Amino acid sequence: MVEPAAGPPPTAPAQAQAQPAIAVRGLRKSFGSKEAVAGIDLDIARGSLAGLVGPNGAGKTTSLSMMTGLLRPDMGTVTINGVSVWTDPVSAKAIIGVVPAEVRLFDRLSGEELLEYSGRLHGLPATDARARTQQLLDVLDLKDDAKRLVADYSTGMRKKAALGCALIHNPQVLFLDEPLEGVDPVSADVIRRLLARFAASGSTVLFSSHVMELVEQVCDHVSIINAGRIVVTGTTDEVRGGKTLQQAFIDLVGARGNDGEGLSWLGSSSG
Amino acid sequence: MAWLLVRLKLRLLGNALRSTTGAKVSFILSTIFAAAVAVGLFISLATLRHNGAAVDLTAVTFTTFAFGWLILPLLTFGLDATLDPATLALYPLRTRPLATGLLAASAAGAWPAANVIGDLGITVGLAHGAFAVFIAVIAVGLQVLFCITLARLVTTALAGLLRSRRGRDLAALALIPLFALYETFAQVIPNMAEKGSLTAASFTGIDQWLRWLPPGLAAHSVVDASTGHPATAIARLAIVAAVIVVLAALWARSLGRALVTADTSTQSAAVRGAGTLPFPRSGLRGTVAARFWVYQRRDPSALIVWAITVIVSVVVSVSSLRGQGNPLGGVLLSAGFGGAFVGVFHSNAVGITGPAFLFEALALPDRRALRAWFAGQDQALALIGVPLVIVIPFLLAAITGHPLNGFLGVAVGLAAVGAGLALSNLFSAWLPYPVEKRAGSPTPRAVGGYTGQALVGTLGSMIGVAILVSPVVVGVALTGSAASAIRMPALLAAGALWGFALSAAGVAIAASAAEGKLPELVQLAARSKL
Repeated sequence: MVEPAAGPPPTAPAQAQAQPAIAVRGLRKSFGSKEAVAGIDLDIARGSLAGLVGPNGAGKTTSLSMMTGLLRPDMGTVTINGVSVWTDPVSAKAIIGVVPAEVRLFDRLSGEELLEYSGRLHGLPATDARARTQQLLDVLDLKDDAKRLVADYSTGMRKKAALGCALIHNPQVLFLDEPLEGVDPVSADVIRRLLARFAASGSTVLFSSHVMELVEQVCDHVSIINAGRIVVTGTTDEVRGGKTLQQAFIDLVGARGNDGEGLSWLGSSSG
Repeated sequence: MAWLLVRLKLRLLGNALRSTTGAKVSFILSTIFAAAVAVGLFISLATLRHNGAAVDLTAVTFTTFAFGWLILPLLTFGLDATLDPATLALYPLRTRPLATGLLAASAAGAWPAANVIGDLGITVGLAHGAFAVFIAVIAVGLQVLFCITLARLVTTALAGLLRSRRGRDLAALALIPLFALYETFAQVIPNMAEKGSLTAASFTGIDQWLRWLPPGLAAHSVVDASTGHPATAIARLAIVAAVIVVLAALWARSLGRALVTADTSTQSAAVRGAGTLPFPRSGLRGTVAARFWVYQRRDPSALIVWAITVIVSVVVSVSSLRGQGNPLGGVLLSAGFGGAFVGVFHSNAVGITGPAFLFEALALPDRRALRAWFAGQDQALALIGVPLVIVIPFLLAAITGHPLNGFLGVAVGLAAVGAGLALSNLFSAWLPYPVEKRAGSPTPRAVGGYTGQALVGTLGSMIGVAILVSPVVVGVALTGSAASAIRMPALLAAGALWGFALSAAGVAIAASAAEGKLPELVQLAARSKL
């Protein structure tokens, strides 16, 4: 006897919708005897603005590098919208954008040339790349500095330029490593709004950070990584469990330091 | 304060010995070199005794060393932390004790000591009598103090500029005339000395004007003391001392200013010629070529590399230019070297691109894209390399009085550029290594632990080009009796085709070699410090 189906079979678009934008399984990486990433499983839904948080040295950058095809994992798989990053890099690289942590750009190009270069590298015709460059420079508030060399840019300007480069080919999934590190509040706000707008259009964003307030404000999904493992993952509300994200993070990862015992001379009242 | 800064300098020098193997080796080599200079200089100056041109040669030597003190800190800015006033700007220090301290710190170390010991050679070479020896010792002290104060004044006055990108670029480009000067001297002076056209007597009278500069005054004071003119000797030294005081006062003022104007990061303007990138209709190859092309113009390292290529191409044919040796041989050698150097300097394209290679790697998913990347680089380099191997052989051929040899030189040059580009791509894919910019070095050098790869890349490119170009050279040699109207175009076409075929093969092989290891290339490039 055949069980009647509970409902109509899922259609192709519905299947695509159900499939996570980023699916990571058993990802591992060791450098010598140090295990930087010790087996990560992670699903990020489409249209999500997800944060990957963790203390320094937790494995955030290593994980993101492996997810974007820039560092070969020892083990594990990464699929982006159903495309395997490590077996089909051609298709995978076409649909992702990456802003690395240490933004090392071609700093002898001007900001304008850099964005055009990025667009053309990703296969855009030169005219389209130039048109999109102008629009991105405008949105990123870099128009006045468009003709200056990137070498002369401040940290915030470099981050914005890198973001422009990562967005110019309209990727489906955007990876950012510490996007607001060293960025002034005004530039940070520009980046934040751009990311929210990008995710609201159905694209997916995964960024690493250790600025909890930022993650709490903008992310709908949070994963906490510590010592190369994901210790908790879920919606932002689930992860913080009624506390601030900062407190939840410290509770999970553990506080460090001894509150400065032995510094009795420090402070005005010590004379 | 002075003692604290001297200890800081000695601690920094000592720490070099506890640092990486590379730093340790370079510190030990530098100390050995300083000792050798001390001994060599002492002996050279001492053996001038009884030489008619002794004072002239001493004045030239002293002036040359002062010039060295003036130039070297500009090139090695950033190497010695005590040279940059910005590192001390945060501390509550008064200018005068700070200036004394920095001066004392400058005087500590192997090189100032080597200068003092070497210069003391004049106590034997110039001084005659106890009083003259006494004057010589003071003259040496003042000469070294003059060098140090001068160097300090110039670096401090230019510190703001040297910390800015534009200033560092200019300082790097200053290496080009120095390299040209060095090559000319290295080629011409031994040659002249060998032929007897350069002797100690050639320097007689050279100090007609050098004698009025502080180093000249110091040298002449010893002669005055030796020839019974003690008052003149003392007067000369007094002038040197006065100059030092003025320089020190200027330096203290400039130091005071530098301490409150340390930040120059926001002083930059739009770059000339910035706008859209060239080659808009050539796909990925054109895109990559556009980036490399812009870099050849804007990156000082690239400009230095091309300048060295030109200088070496000309210098290797010096004997032909001077009428010795085979005129054709000189032109062919020059063309071959020109092409080989295009390869040598780009045999580590990924490492030289540095961490920004990540940016390109994100758009290089397969062999086809990698082929475009290597071919794009070739296109940009050929746009400069090919005109060079056309112009230089014709120029050299015209100078040697056999203009037709220019065609043969171009044939070899085109083959050599093709071979150089092919080998540079192969070594870039096979033996990539991270590089770092080091103060005083014209081009980025391999980071510690990768010197082997750098050596194989350099020698491999040179030897490889020599082998790959040999069919064209053999062609030139075997067709000597053929009619020029047939021989020249045939050899030109053969050289061009052979060069093109080699570069195309290089692109294909390099792309297939790089395909499987792109993530590893990205990680290596990320370790470059540019």
